[in-house]
Amino acid sequence: MIDLSEIAKSIVEANIAKTEKLTKVAIDADIPAEEILNKGLVAAMQVIGEGFERGEIFLPELLMSGEAARTAVKLLRPSLTKQEGVRRHANKAAIGTVQGDVHDIGKNIVIMMLEANGWDVTDLGVDVAPEEFCTAVKENDFQILGLSALLTSTMPNQERTISALKAAGLREKVKVAIGGATVSQRYADQIGADCYATDASDAVKKFKALVQ
Amino acid sequence: MKTLTGADRIFMALELQEPDRVPHFELTLDRKVKEAILPGASYDEAVEYFDWDAVVTDEEDQPGYRVEILEGGNYFRDQWGTIKQDMGDVNAYPIEPAIKSEKDLDTWRPPDPDESWRYEELARLVKKYKGQRAIAVLFPDPFRVANEVRGATDHFMDFVRNPDFIDRLSGLIRDYYLRYIRNCIEVGAEIIFIQGDYATTRWPMLSREHFAKHVIPVFKTLVDEAKSRGAYTAKHTDGNIMPIIDLIVDTGIHGLHPIDPLGGMDLGKVKGEYGHRVCLIGNVDCAYVLTWGTLEEVREDVKRCVRQAARGGGFICMSSNSIHSAVKPENYVEMVKAIHEHGKYPISI
Repeated sequence: MIDLSEIAKSIVEANIAKTEKLTKVAIDADIPAEEILNKGLVAAMQVIGEGFERGEIFLPELLMSGEAARTAVKLLRPSLTKQEGVRRHANKAAIGTVQGDVHDIGKNIVIMMLEANGWDVTDLGVDVAPEEFCTAVKENDFQILGLSALLTSTMPNQERTISALKAAGLREKVKVAIGGATVSQRYADQIGADCYATDASDAVKKFKALVQ
Repeated sequence: MKTLTGADRIFMALELQEPDRVPHFELTLDRKVKEAILPGASYDEAVEYFDWDAVVTDEEDQPGYRVEILEGGNYFRDQWGTIKQDMGDVNAYPIEPAIKSEKDLDTWRPPDPDESWRYEELARLVKKYKGQRAIAVLFPDPFRVANEVRGATDHFMDFVRNPDFIDRLSGLIRDYYLRYIRNCIEVGAEIIFIQGDYATTRWPMLSREHFAKHVIPVFKTLVDEAKSRGAYTAKHTDGNIMPIIDLIVDTGIHGLHPIDPLGGMDLGKVKGEYGHRVCLIGNVDCAYVLTWGTLEEVREDVKRCVRQAARGGGFICMSSNSIHSAVKPENYVEMVKAIHEHGKYPISI
């Protein structure tokens, strides 16, 4: 029987081909997708995330490992969505950069890390107007809405988006997380966001805590 | 003692000496902020009103830099082939890289550094201000250009999967800038100011090993070229650069900006550790204080900067990034007043 820690190891080593091969072997051996996800992918991304937080792993390594994990997620997704009882693992989130701001690197890294941890993430893109966020929340079943803003001048649009959600009666439907270089916990409290994440690794932890 | 010009002040600071007062200028003054303070004023009028000690021309602001204007006017292809979106803020943001695959590099070529339009604004500033205010040119670090032209995600991943590709691309960009620097100095540039972030607010973007092997050597080549032709050099990078600051300082740069407070950088600590080797430029907080703060908070932040970094010289007081569009106009006016008032040598606060 395949040792799932080998999948975790291949992801940590950012070996995409090996990750793909071992994941296929695990699926063919009828190991439940949930188990592969938890003991392989989530375990690996935890190691990567902790290394990133400690300043031992940097963006190139983080992105490469994330890419390896996403390759495995693609293979697992059909099984994960079929299995009753594991739907709780397919947590759904949507993330976009707020109106007036087109920065997307941070947003993309957060999405990659969440997907590598089994989340089903919808990328709403950049320069997203408050009403567009509202439409996305209304028409979907997201548990968390992430609002990214890099510029001091576009931070107020995170607050405007939260206000628009309130005005549309959607605020209670979704948790709101904010992030971006100039944003802080103080600002998140001030504008009534449910959470603030300092970076992609922190976002994974905070998102998980928000839906538990 | 003879009255110092702005240029004298800047050069003394870059030589780690004490001039008559802490010098000041900005790399960027947003149009809306300028308009609110000085309606209808030109760049030169703003320079003179605030009595900046240096003037700056940014390569990316020159008319030929936008090679092709695309749909709606907010999108353009820059001189490197990257498609960018201009949201009216400090920098246009890359949205589509020019080099989408490694094969694309075989046919991709850098722009021509000898085109005369690049140097027209510089020549104008030299003619008008040389000897009175220091003349600086601002352009992006090859690391930043590569990150945009390749696309950030692929560029970062290339460091792991194909470092030779990184070096090949950086080499082409480096060669363009070697020529550009030489041309700028021939026209009269006195400070070569290279901007581009090496760090996020938490850590450097790359490992120390990757910086040392692939990024710093390219940057140092540019620094060496400028210094060999008698120009001063300065580097701008946001973020927490403490784990690699020695690598940057070791290149022999004269100035380092902005010692980013958002990245947790401590101006006093950096002054203590590196103030004898590099002129510190910064770091009045433009993320909170200049944007949301009161006039009193602005004055206090200027005093903090002066207290932490001005003694002994080697300090230019500037914002912690730029006077961007969200800065309160009255706060910037207060910042300049406070620098002139509290930055007189000998420092008494």
